[in-house]
Amino acid sequence: MKRSLPVDELARDDRFVRSSIEDRLTDPRSAARAGAVAEGRGRRRRPISPDQPGAPDAARSLMHGIFVGEVQALEGAGRTCWDFDLGAGDDEVPFELKLDMARQCWDEARHVEISCALAAWMGTAIGEFAESTILYEAACNDDPVMRLTGVNRALEGLAIDVFNTMREFGQAAGDPVLEFCEDWMLADEVTHVKMGSDWLRRLTAQDPDRRARALEFQKVVDKLFSYGGIRGDDDDSPVRLARRFRELAGFAAAEIDEIAELSREAARDRAAKASARQSASRQGG
Amino acid sequence: MPVSVSPDTFTLVDFDPAAIAETAEELVGQVGLPAGLDVRITIDERTPLGRVTVESLEPLVLRIEGGAFEDPKRPRQLSRARVVDVLGLHLFQARDRLDPAFGAPPVDADVPIAHKVAWDTHAMGRVERLGHPAQRQRRLYHFRNRHGFTDAADAAFDRLWSADRLSWPELVEIVG
Repeated sequence: MKRSLPVDELARDDRFVRSSIEDRLTDPRSAARAGAVAEGRGRRRRPISPDQPGAPDAARSLMHGIFVGEVQALEGAGRTCWDFDLGAGDDEVPFELKLDMARQCWDEARHVEISCALAAWMGTAIGEFAESTILYEAACNDDPVMRLTGVNRALEGLAIDVFNTMREFGQAAGDPVLEFCEDWMLADEVTHVKMGSDWLRRLTAQDPDRRARALEFQKVVDKLFSYGGIRGDDDDSPVRLARRFRELAGFAAAEIDEIAELSREAARDRAAKASARQSASRQGG
Repeated sequence: MPVSVSPDTFTLVDFDPAAIAETAEELVGQVGLPAGLDVRITIDERTPLGRVTVESLEPLVLRIEGGAFEDPKRPRQLSRARVVDVLGLHLFQARDRLDPAFGAPPVDADVPIAHKVAWDTHAMGRVERLGHPAQRQRRLYHFRNRHGFTDAADAAFDRLWSADRLSWPELVEIVG
């Protein structure tokens, strides 16, 4: 079996259609919409709440995104078990790390099953929405520390925020199935993020440069996955940073503050780009 | 029945106005709107959101945010299934409003969300019986979010979904 399987070789049936992060970031409507919001003409994003007419569909779409994320997390953790030899080199891993990844595979497989059942409950077909493969792409890094930092700390950290947000949505809507599914998966995600935090510290204990590179990689992923500020720590953030659960997963308060600031920075970048595009559009036409 | 779609060309999304008009004409006939009713569909392609506003009944003017017709798998591409879903629902509700026997629901902005979702359920049940996909479980999930995750709510959903012709007072009575 080959090592480091590229993303385009992942097995999917014809229900699945992929979209890239570039598709999302270069969608010309995003700039138009951000410009409209900035000028007071458009609707601002708000935290998902049952009193919004579109909330059930927003929840369906979000949970489908989580479902494909679970599939990729299973694939990524499985690859990490296989892709590296045992040892102490930068391209090797300890046996105990592989054991943690094997346990994570077990959890993610269960999450996939839970997510399929939850999709059926919410009226969502498997593959109804586009699949973004960024989680698996982060799991393709050649350095196991980068993988653990990008996937377990950044992306599984995002999963903590989303699960907590959707658990609260389920509570508010009175949906016991959504609430309990999220609660169970949230507990596992805290463990996965904690694995990432622990292995980052252990594997880089004698190599501060490697740790700094890994944390820089995490920042890039965290900023990218704040989706222009949608995930953040402000009252109007549609997905709120789950501070308590992140602390349980090994994040220091200062690290959570930093993610919150990255999110605000992403929101400012997004608004600035939208403004620039609006100006260019007016000058051009 | 005349159906017009504007704009004539789209620049931010890959939508074909002729395809939208063709699907709309088919649905207008199936739903049973009055012969000769002028139907005008205006699409705002600048937004990926999906809100629909009925601006008038005669002529029937629908202002639709582009995301409503977008393929959820393929960004900025038109989805015929979404067009059928969105137009089917709103054309049935327009037919209800134009029928004196239906009664007089409040203007859209004043319809409570719980009643709106009940009316959507009644409309989509009829769309399904025309032979179109109607995502029954998705609609049940919408309904449960507004009326509770209970057997009583599910029974009310079944009555709304399976009924061929309810009046507004009957519809409101079912959901209490």
